Amino acid sequence: MNRIPRTLLVGGVIVGVICILAALGPWIAPFEPDAFNMRARLQPPSTTYWFGTDEFGRDVFSRVLAGAHHSLLMGFGATIISLVIGVPLGLIAAFRRGWTEEAIMRGVDLMISIPPVLLGLLILAVTEPGLLKTMLAVGLVYVPIMTRVARAVGLDLLAEDFVEAARARGEGGFHILAREILPNAWPPLIVETSLRVTFAILLGSALSFLGLGPQPPDSEWGLMIAESRPFISEAPWIGLAPGLCLCLLLIAVNVVGEGLRDLLDPRLRGRGH
Amino acid sequence: MSLLNIQGLSLSYATQRGAVHALQDVSLRIPRGGAMGLVGESGSGKSSVVLALLGLLGEGAALTSDKLDFDGKDLRQAAERLRGRRIGVVFQDPAAALNPSLTIGFQVAEPLIQHRGLAREAALARAESLLGEMGITRAAEVARAYPHQLSGGMKQRAVIATALACEPELLLLDEPTTALDVTVEAQILDLLEKLRHERGVSMLLVSHNLGIVDRLCDELTVLYAGRVVEQGPCAETLSTPRHPYTRGLLAALPRVDRGRMARLAPIPGGLPDLKQPTPGCNFQPRCPFAVEACATPQPLLDGVRCHRAAEIAGQPWPIPELGESVVRPVPEALLQAEGLTRSFGGGGLFNKRAGIRAVDGVSLQIGRGEVLGLVGESGCGKSTLGRLVLRLLGADSGRIDFDGKNIPAEASSEFRRRAQIVFQNPDSSLNPRQTVDEALRRPLTRFGIASGAKATREVERLLELVRLPASYRSRYPHQMSGGEKQRIGIARALASRPDFLVCDEAVSALDVSVQAAVLNLLTDLRDRLGVAYLFISHDIGVVAHIADRIAVMYRGAIVEEGPAAAVLAPPYHPYTEALLSAVPVVGAQSRAESRIRLKGDVSTAPGEGGCRFAHRCPRRMGNICDTLTPPVREFGTAHRIACHIPAEELAAMPSAMAV
Repeated sequence: MNRIPRTLLVGGVIVGVICILAALGPWIAPFEPDAFNMRARLQPPSTTYWFGTDEFGRDVFSRVLAGAHHSLLMGFGATIISLVIGVPLGLIAAFRRGWTEEAIMRGVDLMISIPPVLLGLLILAVTEPGLLKTMLAVGLVYVPIMTRVARAVGLDLLAEDFVEAARARGEGGFHILAREILPNAWPPLIVETSLRVTFAILLGSALSFLGLGPQPPDSEWGLMIAESRPFISEAPWIGLAPGLCLCLLLIAVNVVGEGLRDLLDPRLRGRGH
Repeated sequence: MSLLNIQGLSLSYATQRGAVHALQDVSLRIPRGGAMGLVGESGSGKSSVVLALLGLLGEGAALTSDKLDFDGKDLRQAAERLRGRRIGVVFQDPAAALNPSLTIGFQVAEPLIQHRGLAREAALARAESLLGEMGITRAAEVARAYPHQLSGGMKQRAVIATALACEPELLLLDEPTTALDVTVEAQILDLLEKLRHERGVSMLLVSHNLGIVDRLCDELTVLYAGRVVEQGPCAETLSTPRHPYTRGLLAALPRVDRGRMARLAPIPGGLPDLKQPTPGCNFQPRCPFAVEACATPQPLLDGVRCHRAAEIAGQPWPIPELGESVVRPVPEALLQAEGLTRSFGGGGLFNKRAGIRAVDGVSLQIGRGEVLGLVGESGCGKSTLGRLVLRLLGADSGRIDFDGKNIPAEASSEFRRRAQIVFQNPDSSLNPRQTVDEALRRPLTRFGIASGAKATREVERLLELVRLPASYRSRYPHQMSGGEKQRIGIARALASRPDFLVCDEAVSALDVSVQAAVLNLLTDLRDRLGVAYLFISHDIGVVAHIADRIAVMYRGAIVEEGPAAAVLAPPYHPYTEALLSAVPVVGAQSRAESRIRLKGDVSTAPGEGGCRFAHRCPRRMGNICDTLTPPVREFGTAHRIACHIPAEELAAMPSAMAV
């Protein structure tokens, strides 16, 4: 067996702790996240208010906790959406070649040529903002990248002799893609996915910052940063707390991605057995 | 005094699972002007010797030696200063050795600028003359070219020119011709031979090919699992090998000069564990002559590391029993292909020019239980033809009949069941995420041959057929050796009980000892099951051993076809003659003067029309060869040669092989 890289362990533990905190948020939060307390407005961090309070006297720590699940859902949900749409598209493009491939890849090029935020704005502009829709928007933004990765991996694998052997048995396209290609394609796809989560979280927060995610008084890290802007000089902790949490999550997820790459990279596997 | 003197060289690599002892107490010496061959199968440590000499072992390698001297200087300290100046190196793959973004001329000149301090212009001029000395015509043009513009043989000449730029006294050659076609290999061997005699360069030639070593070297060292097992004069060692391993290697070798042999002698088993080398003879577990005393340490006495060498000299290497022949080939055609043509490269979305005809109007016929060997150099269209007859690649035109029925482009499931393929590369032919059981079960269920418990029994029967224990069912490809994987590939192809197999270089990636076992297996299967093969190989020795009939292919067409014995003897097509003459055969030094050498290689572009071999043909008659398609001349039973040379003249050719 492969040894589990340390990066994967460290990153995994941090991501795990954040996930647990996000899940337990409502129970462990010291205050109600949206309870106003006009007597404790803009308090700096203290033993009572760990991350301070905002302009309405709400406890920032409780709000950060309550907002964590948004960021996590955004990151993982959007990535899963891009995976579910992108991978089959990419594999089909690699398998069919010719016009099918041209159509899929040029369509994907078209999507890439639209700036991600603009695409998100476009989707959210025509409908009511909400977590699920932000997730879908971010997911769609990353479909082209997943498609390309899946196609590249698929093309490599389709050149292998075991695929030719399957063709010599007269196997259909579905069997070849699902049984011969996919089991071998997932390691590079997982690595790509884990790195993609970071960007999805970031883009989700950016869209929230622009007011296209969850709506106030809901707490979401991007939204909290946006709301903290008027107070950035007098009460920097309001924006700093969610910002630093976002940072920590992004770094941890990225580290997990790198760990997974070390674990699954085919160039590091299969040596000496 | 020796130019190179290695005494007691040991080398171990640190790995996660403990130290691997790659070399154990290796000693060899090369006198000034001498040439030493270093042979052994993959994993024997040949390349490690070269890297150790160059001081290029990298991290994690621990080297100890009593002596590692080059011209009296200790290589452990001096390697960095000597390599590239007084020690030149040529590696296996010329495409990988050259930098794709620098001109050939600059790459040859680089060591001169680096080590000799020559000015750029002077170095480039010298590089050009060096390329000329390597037998490259139009050296000035080649010097300005980039690697991708040159053929493999030209690239290897450029690499040799680079290695020789600083006039080294010792040339290390690590499988210098393995990546090349046999006719190009012959040119490179001629060049190396010439360099040796004209410049007095000493050589250390690392190769798995005994024929090459026999041609170039005067001394031979046989390496097995990191130890020298035999050492001595080259010709003598190869004609009367004394160590059982050397004897085994020679017995396992299919040889074109022997033609069809009943049986090859494979060496059973595999390399020993290099993590815990046994103090005794490390070949003992695979040796047919092993006795108890072999477990004690063996010294290298009189050039051989075997205490029984003298005792067993008279005993023959045991050759496995001949499988009983039930089915013999019958003339009735199983597969008949007519006018198969396939082009590549043309007709893309933005690319409307005509492509290259990889296969150009080829017709062939294979009888039941018959083996048709298909030989030719790389790029001649062999593999394409193999896929065309299986309808794995769509043909542009042509017709295929199998067992009397026409096979359309979308082949039926029945045809898929009856016609299967075995691939060259055992690593790529098995799905790394499927167990042996899954791989073998799929064709059974797919073609409705067996399912459930019956399929399990069938999988076990298939494993038995390829001589692997039933416990292999649960193995994944990475848990098996190359030879074992190749057997699974064969078992998978046989699972659907086909009548016809395309073997595309099926044994080319294997070491000789394993290759012999797989060839024996294929021979048995033909004899017992009556399977017909289209046996594609660039190795004429292998084809000569297994084929009933041989077809020789050149640039997309078959130039000669006939019964194996007839093709291997005169009359020849001039291309067949050159091919046979180029094969390096052990113990055939005498035929040096009669060698036929082809100029250029397959990619040397000819014009349209005429004989496709005319541009390289040493027997080219004149204009007629360039303009008229050659007639097909018949000799005896079904021996056909496509050539303008009159039949009587062809028939009068001498044999291209030493007798």
